[in-house]
Amino acid sequence: MSRFTLDQEIKLVQDEMLLLGSLAEQAILNAVDALRRRDIAAAKSIYAEDQKINSKHFAIENHILIIFATQSPLARDLRILAAMLEIITELERIGDYAKGIAKVAMRLADDETPIPIREISTMADKATSMLHRALGAFVAEDLAAAYAIPREDDEVDELYITIYRKIVQNMIKNPETIDHTNQILWVIHNLERTADRVTNICERIVFIVSGELLELDSSDDEDLDD
Amino acid sequence: MKMRIHSRIAWPFVLTLVLTLVVWLIALPLLEQSAYQKALTNNEPVDLSFVHNAAFLISLVGLIAGLSISLIHTNRYVDDLKTLTEAAKELGEGKYQEIDLLPMQNSLREMGELREALQKTARQIEDQIADLSKERAMLSAVLGQMTDGVLIADNSGRVQLLNKEAEKLFMVNERDALGRSVVEVMRHHRLVELWEETRNGPAKTITMEMGAMHKYLQVVGIPLGEDLPGRSMLLFQDLTQTHRLETVRRDFVSNISHELRTPMAGLKAISETLLDGALEDPVVARNFVLRMDSEVDNLTQMVNELLELSRIEAGRSNFDFQHIEPCQLIQKPAERMILQAERVGVTLSYDCPADLPLVFADPERISQVFINLIHNAIKFTLNGGRVHVTAFQDGQMVVFKVSDNGVGIAQKDITRIFERFYKADRARAGGGTGLGLSICRHIVEAHGGIIWAESVENSGSNFFFSIPVVYRNNHN
Repeated sequence: MSRFTLDQEIKLVQDEMLLLGSLAEQAILNAVDALRRRDIAAAKSIYAEDQKINSKHFAIENHILIIFATQSPLARDLRILAAMLEIITELERIGDYAKGIAKVAMRLADDETPIPIREISTMADKATSMLHRALGAFVAEDLAAAYAIPREDDEVDELYITIYRKIVQNMIKNPETIDHTNQILWVIHNLERTADRVTNICERIVFIVSGELLELDSSDDEDLDD
Repeated sequence: MKMRIHSRIAWPFVLTLVLTLVVWLIALPLLEQSAYQKALTNNEPVDLSFVHNAAFLISLVGLIAGLSISLIHTNRYVDDLKTLTEAAKELGEGKYQEIDLLPMQNSLREMGELREALQKTARQIEDQIADLSKERAMLSAVLGQMTDGVLIADNSGRVQLLNKEAEKLFMVNERDALGRSVVEVMRHHRLVELWEETRNGPAKTITMEMGAMHKYLQVVGIPLGEDLPGRSMLLFQDLTQTHRLETVRRDFVSNISHELRTPMAGLKAISETLLDGALEDPVVARNFVLRMDSEVDNLTQMVNELLELSRIEAGRSNFDFQHIEPCQLIQKPAERMILQAERVGVTLSYDCPADLPLVFADPERISQVFINLIHNAIKFTLNGGRVHVTAFQDGQMVVFKVSDNGVGIAQKDITRIFERFYKADRARAGGGTGLGLSICRHIVEAHGGIIWAESVENSGSNFFFSIPVVYRNNHN
């Protein structure tokens, strides 16, 4: 009986986590869309969404803690719950990144300076697609995907560097756009960090399946070599 | 319970009973008489033991005969009954197709009726199941071929049904998705919210953009209520294409307004300056009027090109197709552009293999394509650069190529340059309308060919377009 309810409780938390993931994913996409359309109202609505993300984060955390206290989960169940506790924090952070982008969208709404929006959109699509698939891999306990998804982080990093070079060059040529460029740097930084958070999520999948805590981010080591 | 002994089951027994009785009635008086006669003749006491024995024997024989005849007789009915029981069992197990009872000879009428009833039931079940599976096949064909996604979930949020389109939309396969929670399958908070609202309320429609694929969806949530209590259905219509067209249209209107605004603003500024006193100075005034004239020319060109483009796009433009040598198509426009190229210090050259097959084309329109392409090539090539026009055969097409060693086109722009108003480098494109390449594409496509570009930034571009070879030549 108690086994049955623990399984059910874990499934419930998992569904809640997926919903939180969906909120975070859509928040990033909406923020970039608000930036593209220079839409202040849309940017403001992301602030409200972030409130929702934060309170959902707390609700899930609470739910997990109650399960810890009442069901004393062991072994795999314990790992799954601990991993979810970690993942919801990552998702909440991603929500904050979306809010950061929305803030820039509001500031730049009246600025006519062109934004490299196509590249930024590609970056956002890439990062949110990684997030979507990572949470899917969590539910399916798909180890292969957990190892494969973090490798895509390199593509996001590459896009980051491409945009970075482009806008910094522009900033040097047109010093009056320094403020604007700084804002855009903030946007691409947030997107780059989003993809990094996804890597952390993938690490948790490996942890659930194998019980090992691994660093899946290979590019950081390369950065040190440079 | 009323007990009825069926005559056909009872008759062998009754018959033997009667026979035995007859034997009794006939044989026993005779035997008795002979016993008395014997006693009279021999003057002995009457000995009836023989008669008693005979009576006993006859009864015994009669009884045994009666029993065994009834036994043999009823056994046949029992066999029939067993067959029917087996058949009924099979029917219960759903093996209705295997029931094929032989007609029963010499059996009870009731048995025959039972057999017929069973067989009729089997046939009816078979028909009903055939009807049901036909209906099912029809429904699943409809579901499978539907361009809308369909998902049905039960009251606890487990997915019960998912069609092909929904599988594609959520990138799952039906086998994995059935029985999983709607959250796990749909993975979007707005869809889950819609499902929750539908479960407790009336039907509802939302439109939304989903995920990194930017699918634009209209989703209808419908409670299935009385037909399937507790279940609700979500219908997904993919409006991505429609939405995209809508966006293109909106962009077009805003682009065209923007494109028109610039020359209009120029004209307004000049006319205001003239009115403010510049008219008094004939030299300055003449200069301004000249600029107005060129602005109006630009506007006229743009309006003409737009009209042309919309005519070609709508398929209302008349083409004068004829069989023509590809080299003839190159020569005229190339010669015409040589002077213009020289003026800006660009060398324009062309060559053409003599053995190219005839193509089916409108020379005037193709000339327009060449002039556009060469004009662009010259514009984006620096002083001292080269532009070269050539042609070659590729299967059933002749491919024309305009190459330059100019500034090239960025990779991200290369597929978009054929769009209306698209200008890769606004500063350089300067006076252009942004419509030229779009017109080229439509002309080439109207010929049944395609147009494309290859480019390396800072080292030049190649523009290609293909025109089909004349059909007659295919057989030569």
